Amino acid sequence: MSVLELRDLSVTYRRKHLPDITAVAGVNLTVERGEIVGLVGESGCGKSTLGRAASGLLPPSGGAVLFEGKPVTPLGRAPRPKRERRIQMVFQDPNSSLNGRRKVGDQIADGLELATGMPSHARRARVGELLEQVGLEPRVASRFPHEFSGGQRQRICIARALSADPSVIIADEPISALDASAQAQIANLLRELAKELDVGLVFISHDLAIVRHIADRVAVMYLGKVAEIGDTEAVWDEPLHPYSDALIGAVLHADGTGEMPEALPGDVPDPADPPTGCRFQTRCPMVMDRCREEEPILAVTHRGDERAVACWLHHE
Amino acid sequence: MSAQPATATGSLLAVRDLTIDLPGKDGPVRIVDGVDLAVDSGQVLGIAGESGSGKTMTALALLGLLPTGATTRGEAAFQGKDLLRLSTKQWRQTRGDEIGVIFQDPMTALHPMLTIERQLTEHMRRHLDLSRHDARDRAIELLRQVQLPDPVGSLRSYPHQFSGGMRQRIAIAVALACDPQLLIADEPTTALDVTVQAGVLRLLKELCERIGLAVIVVTHDLGVMSTVADHLSVFYAGRIVESGPTNELLRAPRHPYTRGLLDSLPHPERPNEPLVPIEGAPATPANRPSGCALHPRCAWAEPSCSQQVPALLPVGNGRLNACPVDPFAEGER
Repeated sequence: MSVLELRDLSVTYRRKHLPDITAVAGVNLTVERGEIVGLVGESGCGKSTLGRAASGLLPPSGGAVLFEGKPVTPLGRAPRPKRERRIQMVFQDPNSSLNGRRKVGDQIADGLELATGMPSHARRARVGELLEQVGLEPRVASRFPHEFSGGQRQRICIARALSADPSVIIADEPISALDASAQAQIANLLRELAKELDVGLVFISHDLAIVRHIADRVAVMYLGKVAEIGDTEAVWDEPLHPYSDALIGAVLHADGTGEMPEALPGDVPDPADPPTGCRFQTRCPMVMDRCREEEPILAVTHRGDERAVACWLHHE
Repeated sequence: MSAQPATATGSLLAVRDLTIDLPGKDGPVRIVDGVDLAVDSGQVLGIAGESGSGKTMTALALLGLLPTGATTRGEAAFQGKDLLRLSTKQWRQTRGDEIGVIFQDPMTALHPMLTIERQLTEHMRRHLDLSRHDARDRAIELLRQVQLPDPVGSLRSYPHQFSGGMRQRIAIAVALACDPQLLIADEPTTALDVTVQAGVLRLLKELCERIGLAVIVVTHDLGVMSTVADHLSVFYAGRIVESGPTNELLRAPRHPYTRGLLDSLPHPERPNEPLVPIEGAPATPANRPSGCALHPRCAWAEPSCSQQVPALLPVGNGRLNACPVDPFAEGER
């Protein structure tokens, strides 16, 4: 059983006097324990909405989110069911996700109390262990968030997520707000922890180069749907969907060759009014007549590498 | 010592020994310490560094936008003026007119309630003394130059009606409205999607070549530097640690910090190896280590590194390096 399973998930934002926006429009995705799934796409593709729905922060408007086989309760006024506390999130900006007026050790201890009900005398030692696990010294527990650098603060957020003994962590752009050297540190740390603690990790990022480095599988999203999903290395080496190809082609390399990658023309269409047929047809360099009329479904190709792609180029 | 010692004297902008102090709790804090830079027309100079490296403060000093209480030393020669010694009134004629600027987030740089026409023509009419009609024509021309689809129709639109990439193009048009000789771009593509990033970078490069604009790009992103910058200066803790032609510097970095930054990036040919981060956290100006500020994080540090601030010295091919240990003197990455 997958630790996290999205079944035809859709999430719709309702707006007053304006058409609804379906930010996630039918996504199927599974995450196993110890597996790192990268979720990439341009801004507005629905990747953050998907992450929030997967952790129960947003209610699905269709389909279901299953955590360890059972549906996740969307966050309401009632406390979260205890078992669902083992879904944890790490956010982009550690400055705004930590309380600046409380000691970091106390903030980590909250998770211990809520999720595991650990008695207060045992928490202190466990906080120290968690801090060590993320590469900090136990004695920093009595400090405040402003005494740390951005990368260290993100480590604290990760320790706090770990305090609930999670079986899946959803990390939404966890390194984008960090300095270059801290980015590599946090990316490595997340990968190590996922493998070592056997935690499923959904790594949402716009940075394809980093995702390639740490994710086992990658899902490329476009306008609320998955365009392609497969083994990271396979997708990178031979992207099948023209959108994956464009995204990978746009990555800049700091190799000093001065090569300027191709820009993908056009903008992401308005999600309130998606194009007919394939969602990518308005920008696709390979567009055919059929793409304008019929929407391709995400289906496994006959290549035998369990890669699924939503593109008429690869399906009958 | 500048990135290009040979042409420094004739450069459009020549910064010498720029030092910036900001007031702190326990007296002034040195944010930038003795920086030399030079940029010529038609050239892109890259300033790279992590947060706290002083790269943004350097850019703000060149725009006369340093926070209140900041003191500067040194010289920034530009068009017969010293940018560090201009009065508020002189800045009003220089900034926008001779030096344009674009910031990271085009949404906050543009006024949300004003039409594109108003934002483009307002300072044009004031600085260039144009009639409403002439200013409008020039606005259309500028929007064409930044390759905005439908320039005429766009004039009546508001910023929210455009995507991020298009907004940044409009912000560039606003910056170019008064025909500046120098454009300062602070993280120009950081807020943009990868797919539109390339388009904006190509535009900057083209403008540079076509109208002879000098551009200073400030960013932490070495991938961006690799595609646009002709020359690169790498900042660490308020000082330049290495500078030179971008292609050589990125292909064969000499300073351990530059090397470390490059090694921490995903390598296109080694996807399965873990990233190699620089250990520790960047030095902050208030807490700058003695001697070479990198020494607590540097694997090649020798005892002398903590005692003396290393000088930025020429190492051939127009390159400068501030590492006396110089562990990468030979060979490419």
